[in-house]
Amino acid sequence: MDRNRLHNQVASMRRSLFDQGYLDDQFIQLEELQDDTNPNFVQEVVTLFYNDSARLIQNIEQALNSGPIDFCKLDDYMHQFKGSSSSIGAKKVTNECTAFREYCNAENAEGCIRSFQQVKQEYAILKRKLEVYLQTVRQASQTA
Amino acid sequence: MNSSNGNGSMSTASSSGAWNGRDQFPAGLRVLVVDDDQTCLMVFEKMLKTCLYQVTKCNKAETALSVLREHKNEFDIVISDVHMPDMDGFELLKHINSEMDLPVILISADARKQVVMKGVTYGACDYLIKPVRIETLKNIWQHVVRKKARNTF
Repeated sequence: MDRNRLHNQVASMRRSLFDQGYLDDQFIQLEELQDDTNPNFVQEVVTLFYNDSARLIQNIEQALNSGPIDFCKLDDYMHQFKGSSSSIGAKKVTNECTAFREYCNAENAEGCIRSFQQVKQEYAILKRKLEVYLQTVRQASQTA
Repeated sequence: MNSSNGNGSMSTASSSGAWNGRDQFPAGLRVLVVDDDQTCLMVFEKMLKTCLYQVTKCNKAETALSVLREHKNEFDIVISDVHMPDMDGFELLKHINSEMDLPVILISADARKQVVMKGVTYGACDYLIKPVRIETLKNIWQHVVRKKARNTF
């Protein structure tokens, strides 16, 4: 039956997101906050996160590519990114942000550039997986 | 600035520290939350509302300060992010401490001891590390009561 299959799919996708370390406890906090008054809360928060992240990534990109690197500014941006990624439970992204900030503190330009590639990569992977997961959740909730 | 009102009543806590007419306490606790990160702000607002608090949110410290100045005695506690452009959480804290008698909780993704120390020495009644869990927010009313009790005795 379609419904069961979808629900099983949702459960297994969710489990794997946690098992593989893409998401942590904080994401569960978001799920628990979702209720009848806010039935799309998780999706809304995640969408806000994508918007914030896109902007921050662009700013960091610019800061890394324009002349002498302003490590303070970079650290600022990454601090923000870390704050919002940790708020949605994006574990791997948050960890990469922490790594980036260490290179920043050490004023290691090479390290920052490399580390930023990692941040972008983890972010892209998470975004893709979350989009598929949340879409499946939506589908499952629609087959009542 | 966004104001979400759980109940329409505005009661001024008496100087004796008694919580007049607010049997549902800590439901209805009037919280002002400040964070320039909209993702965090949305999560905080939802968590605080789930705690049955009355939540007002701001994404700038300057706005928060004007709101507090214009609506004195209409808030019980302020929760503010540390890291914000223009005015940061420390500066907001200093203003609040010098102008009014409100407990301020600082939040940050920055867990470095010297930053936490700064928050505490500047007079924050607590310093929480992001991500904040709802269980922590359920207890913030203690800071309000503690401050009132200190003022009374």
